[in-house]
Amino acid sequence: MSAGSADVVGNDFQPSHAIHAEDLGVQYNLRFNRKRSMVESLGNVLRRKPPERFWALRHVSIRLVHGESLAIIGPNGAGKSTLLQVLAGIMRPSEGVVDTRGHVSGLLALGAGFDTELSGIDNILLGGAYLGLEDSTTRRLLPSIVEFADLGAFIDAPLKTYSTGMRARLGFAIAASVDPDILLLDEVLSTGDIAFREKSKARVLELARAAKAVVLVTHDMAWVSEFCNRALVLERGQVVFEGKPLEAVEIHQQHTAEAQARKAAEATAAGVDPRIAPPR
Amino acid sequence: MLSTSARPVVREVSGTPPTLELLREAVREVTSRRRLIRYLVQAEMKKRGSDTVLGNLWWILDPLLQMIVYVIFVTIIGRGNIPDYPLFIFAAILPWKWYSSVVADGTQSVVRQSALIRQIAFPKIVLPLATATAGVVGFAWGLIPLAVIMLLNPGRFTLYVLWIPVIAVVQYVFSLASAIFVSAANVFFRDLGNVVGHVLRLWFFLSPGLYALSTLDNVSMFKRYPILHDLVGLNPFSVLFEAYRAVIYGTADGGPPLSPNLLSLFELLLASIVLTALAAIFFKRVEPEFAKVL
Repeated sequence: MSAGSADVVGNDFQPSHAIHAEDLGVQYNLRFNRKRSMVESLGNVLRRKPPERFWALRHVSIRLVHGESLAIIGPNGAGKSTLLQVLAGIMRPSEGVVDTRGHVSGLLALGAGFDTELSGIDNILLGGAYLGLEDSTTRRLLPSIVEFADLGAFIDAPLKTYSTGMRARLGFAIAASVDPDILLLDEVLSTGDIAFREKSKARVLELARAAKAVVLVTHDMAWVSEFCNRALVLERGQVVFEGKPLEAVEIHQQHTAEAQARKAAEATAAGVDPRIAPPR
Repeated sequence: MLSTSARPVVREVSGTPPTLELLREAVREVTSRRRLIRYLVQAEMKKRGSDTVLGNLWWILDPLLQMIVYVIFVTIIGRGNIPDYPLFIFAAILPWKWYSSVVADGTQSVVRQSALIRQIAFPKIVLPLATATAGVVGFAWGLIPLAVIMLLNPGRFTLYVLWIPVIAVVQYVFSLASAIFVSAANVFFRDLGNVVGHVLRLWFFLSPGLYALSTLDNVSMFKRYPILHDLVGLNPFSVLFEAYRAVIYGTADGGPPLSPNLLSLFELLLASIVLTALAAIFFKRVEPEFAKVL
């Protein structure tokens, strides 16, 4: 897991940016998301009812040059994970352009593993193939992944015999074995026991140092200010602030407090004690 | 770590690329991810073999038991006047089991991996492809009991069995088209999983599997509407069953094995290639929506 790959590339082209995203928009078509039955869908089509749509992300532009790390913060459902999915190439944007230079890899929550019937070793090989690694590369990385996951004899047992924590460890070890140019992190540091969390944090920092650019989605404000040189506050799919991490955290916390106060005020106006959750 | 590998420049633009580009992309994805497809097929094999007491023996038992059920059924209703009837229907049951399992597994192949699809970017088309390819292995196992039954019936085991792989290639391409199509469609219409089982059952009984194609000449409806014969001729499994039966069993009146109808096989192969291309284009067109819908 050595660094050094950071300065290998750069001769063949002169990339001024690592990530360039312009006017990104992701639209969800709720016709399919609601998992309607065929009869209902057919009925809607016949009645020429326009499908319900909503923008999970709109008018988002990001530009990251080499060496930068960007934090994305915001309330739940703001579109943070959607943005990462677009950057990772998992989702194609409904509008706008994404241009990422180099190998993109996401440490998204791989806690589930790849195939519960297969052994740990087989999962590593399968996982490498899913991530697009050459088989020789995966086999070369195999010992270090096994060592990092630290599962003992369980590495040869089917994944279905693993505990949740063990699965998370294996998932992280596989995902973190890739040394990407652009690293995408989505709340990955909340898995495993304390010892493993420390270890994975160290590995993430190592990867981040080697990577050319890092995008991090987190609710942990300490990470934002400690680790990122820029931050972006996302609310309802739109960028409400972009700039210094400390300012972003401040704005985010202020907005969160306002939202909570608003909710409490509404509840009080409705005659409900805000400390009591309304019945569902 | 990846310093030796190529560094792709990814450029995602909104909107759908032109149709031919989609097809080219699909071919590129499949050829570059052969290893992943192989692992997925192997995983499928391991699962099938390890979950049950009898393990891989089920590949052999499944078609055999199904054949026995039909033989009993047909004997009871008194229609068993075809010589060597067990072999006659086994020649159809075996390829049908292959096809129906590929289609049934195919509907689940993408949906089953919803967690992965939302977490990593990989070409999803490898999933139905792996399902279709794993089906071949089940068929290959089934050739063992087929050989046994053929040897038990004197005069059936001839060099014409060498045609089986050729016919199987045609069926593979057709099953590939079906798997790619249903795997993508089921993401948007989950009812498909329920529908498919019934469609498959009806399809089997409408295909000349338990009866010879010539039996239809005596059906009154076929006498009244000759167009039905043309429709039956369009059924890929009319062509496939007749071809398998020709090389495994022989003529419907009990004659020895002979060459299959090569022209109709060739036509079906061409049609299947076109269908696979169309299915791949459809798959690639809706693929970007998978992560949103799943």
